[in-house]
Amino acid sequence: MIAASAGVLPLDGALVEPALSAPLSARADVADRALVKRGSGEIQPVLALADISLSFGGVAALRDIDLEVAQGEIRAVIGPNGAGKSSLLNVISGLYRPDRGRVWLGEHSFGHVPTARLAQHGVARTFQNLAVFKGLSVRDNVLMGVAHRVRAGFLRQIAGSPLARRIEAENRAAAEDVIGFLHLREVCDRAAGTLPYGLQKRVELARALVARPLLLLLDEPFAGVTLGEKHELAAHVRNARDSYGATIVLIEHDIGVVMGLSDRVAVLDYGRKIADGTPDQVRSDQAVVDAYLGVAHADETEFAL
Amino acid sequence: MFDYQFLIEVLVGGLLSGVMYSLVAIGFVVIYKTSGVLNFAQGAMLLFAALTFVSLVERGVALPLALLATLAIMVALGVAVERTVLRPLVNQPPITLFMATLGLSYVIEGAAQLLWGTQVHGLDIGISDVPLDIVGVFISRFDLFAAAVAGSLVALFALFFRTTRTGLSFRAVADDPFAALAVGLRLPRVWAIVWTVAGIVALVAGLLWGARLGVQFSLSLVVLKALPVLVLGGFDSIAGAIVGGLLIGAIEKLAEVYVGPLVGGGIEAWAGYVVALVFLLVRPSGLFGQKLVERV
Amino acid sequence: MDATSNPRQTLPVIDRILIGIGAVITFGVIPLAGSDYLMDAVLTPFLALALAAAGLNVLTGYAGQVSLGSAAFLAVGAYAAYNLHLRLPELPLLLDLVLAGLVAAAIGIVFGLPSLRLRGFYLAVSTLAAQFFVQWALTKFGWFSNDNPSGVIDAPALTIAGYSFTSAAGRYLFSLAVVTVATILTLLLLQSQTGRNFIAVRDHEIAAKVIGVPLLRTKLLAFGVSSFLIGVAGVLWAFAYLRTVEPAGFNLDRSFQILFIIIIGGLASLRGAFLGAAFIVVFPLILSRLGAALLGGVFDSGVLEMSQRIVIGALIIAFLIAEPRGLIALWDRFRAASAAWTGLRKTFPATDTSRS
Repeated sequence: MIAASAGVLPLDGALVEPALSAPLSARADVADRALVKRGSGEIQPVLALADISLSFGGVAALRDIDLEVAQGEIRAVIGPNGAGKSSLLNVISGLYRPDRGRVWLGEHSFGHVPTARLAQHGVARTFQNLAVFKGLSVRDNVLMGVAHRVRAGFLRQIAGSPLARRIEAENRAAAEDVIGFLHLREVCDRAAGTLPYGLQKRVELARALVARPLLLLLDEPFAGVTLGEKHELAAHVRNARDSYGATIVLIEHDIGVVMGLSDRVAVLDYGRKIADGTPDQVRSDQAVVDAYLGVAHADETEFAL
Repeated sequence: MFDYQFLIEVLVGGLLSGVMYSLVAIGFVVIYKTSGVLNFAQGAMLLFAALTFVSLVERGVALPLALLATLAIMVALGVAVERTVLRPLVNQPPITLFMATLGLSYVIEGAAQLLWGTQVHGLDIGISDVPLDIVGVFISRFDLFAAAVAGSLVALFALFFRTTRTGLSFRAVADDPFAALAVGLRLPRVWAIVWTVAGIVALVAGLLWGARLGVQFSLSLVVLKALPVLVLGGFDSIAGAIVGGLLIGAIEKLAEVYVGPLVGGGIEAWAGYVVALVFLLVRPSGLFGQKLVERV
Repeated sequence: MDATSNPRQTLPVIDRILIGIGAVITFGVIPLAGSDYLMDAVLTPFLALALAAAGLNVLTGYAGQVSLGSAAFLAVGAYAAYNLHLRLPELPLLLDLVLAGLVAAAIGIVFGLPSLRLRGFYLAVSTLAAQFFVQWALTKFGWFSNDNPSGVIDAPALTIAGYSFTSAAGRYLFSLAVVTVATILTLLLLQSQTGRNFIAVRDHEIAAKVIGVPLLRTKLLAFGVSSFLIGVAGVLWAFAYLRTVEPAGFNLDRSFQILFIIIIGGLASLRGAFLGAAFIVVFPLILSRLGAALLGGVFDSGVLEMSQRIVIGALIIAFLIAEPRGLIALWDRFRAASAAWTGLRKTFPATDTSRS
């Protein structure tokens, strides 16, 4: 029951880097990034997809998808099962190579996003099926999110060279910060695999946030969690943007939560983008209503919410 | 002047011994297909079957009776394995199951030799190994017989899997264990039957290999010959096991004859592995194995 | 001791005292008071096997890459040290030891290359290639055994800086010192970011890749470190324990034995490697005494070997079913229970690294 109650737990004293301090540093961070943008001329979207198409053995999963995500927004991509949402996220994170089209991450454009360099480009993601490192403690899971910053070779790590120690200390401080921010302090020494589902999802979010990504991709963050956890998780997602300055793209099956959370929503159906706009625009879009309520998809979506 | 006739002889000899590899590999595939277990104990089962049969015959049991008794024992073994090893480990990661079968192979090997002793037994199945002259190419009569047995075994399996109800349920389980469970197939029963089938394959392979090498501990090492075959053909394809076996058999012999002298010989021990490995790096799921699209 | 703990954290006082007592006993009391039989036939092979198992555990337990070729790297270490000593006699023995480990690491990295594309069984099968290839090369090429017609090598006497370590106690102490240093360094590695990367690759390769863990480097490093440790263990096995070595001593059964040590002792735990090695060394001794006492003459060496196989095999299955975390989990539970009973400690670390 830690999951449900952690949100109201008093933060424990001495060790806690207070969650309140995070926004300050994060805001400074965001301001810096904005400056860079202004310096380089016109404002670029954090993420842009141009004309992305993907098929598996002749079956089209994505067709001519265009999408732009502006700095600091929470962008949802919704659609019925099999609409291509996961494929879209996997194209953005480079796990799939699109047949056609380009992915822009800031000013860099890719035909096939290099997965191994995502972190350097300031992109982090979570997975639909839990992808925590079960055998590592919660703290070590979070530390993994900044693994790419460890530049010291393994011999220096063994010997504890000044460089290795400094990076380790910085990473640990960053991890403690996120652990406090997401109220994971109580469980931070436990092996992640032993935690309840909702809490593991939060560990994954912490692992993605610790590097303070420019762009955070969330793959069905609300799938499989209880209603109480849903509201809590939604608050965490909003905080991730407000306090950590991350631009967020989330794909979701359950539209109810998404409508209240997102700034803009894109709707996929059969691999095509059928609508794109504010939640209100999308809600009243005839094509969307057809896709969700039409005979073809009898889904259990909570559209009325 | 290159001696083509010799080349053909080597090639045919290799292909035929490859059939023997296939025979062992099929035992693996049957189990892997239905339960996702790479059964390292297949070699031990082969040893156990051959040793049991030979020992019964040596104690004066009539041939057909000994065959039936061995068959019955292999069935019992299959059921026992399902009960004591597989059922408690259901839903464990495949590699755990693999390690369990490693342990199982130790148990079966130990038990076989504790029961029947460690001495080498001759096994005569009445096929002379006089070479047959076919248009100038000498071919081992024994190898031909083995190939015929392997061929009919495969045909039998194909018939069984396609036409009988049990066979159909195997294929359902192989396709999707959860769906199979949902429509009411009893997995434990299917697994027990599968292990029994693997036991029968082990018996046939054990008799053929035993007739060639003598029935002794090293018989269980033929499993090591079957592994590159499986890697090449894919763990889940009977056709792959056959083609893979033929390929490995032929390549091994050709390599030994034509490459071996350059490096001091004896490369049969690892030539198959190297070939399988190089192939794997190009095509990670084997010749006929299903390509898995990784879902994330 | 496990991967979840902080690096370089200060140990509780009681643990420091225990480690101190342990050091006094292992480095002082045993060499002085222990019998030659104990050191020669029990402790020295135990140390070599424990180090080899620790090496395999880095690869299989932590980084999740199953290997069936450990004995090959034992052999590479042993033969490399032998040849270094033979052909470059001016090098000090300790340098031979480290270089032999590095040779094993290099070969390990070569055979680890397939791990970039292969997983699970496929990788396990491909490590068999290392096993057969190395054994073949050592048998086929006389150069490795200095053209000794039997292929057997006589290990040189252990002499370091003029001091001879040829007595049973000397060879035990030499092994103990090497294993202690190697274990401490391994522990430091496993507690660093590299150790976390190993487990991350084991538990979820794709997530690790997305985060920016360099898969290629991490896996090859695991193969390299693992083979280094196993190679050094091979030197101990050859120079300190057997003193004569032939390729047949490093066969597939030896590889399985090392794998069994970590399954029984505990995957992803260095302590487990030691516990498992102790079990594998002591168990046959107990079994033979027990068998002889119960069955008398019927229990000859053949029967002993077979019953040993059966029991070890059955134990593997039993542990995988009942306690996949091995003896070390039983030991931790026992310690927790006894600590709670005596009230010495209020808390006990409940976390442990689970397996893949």
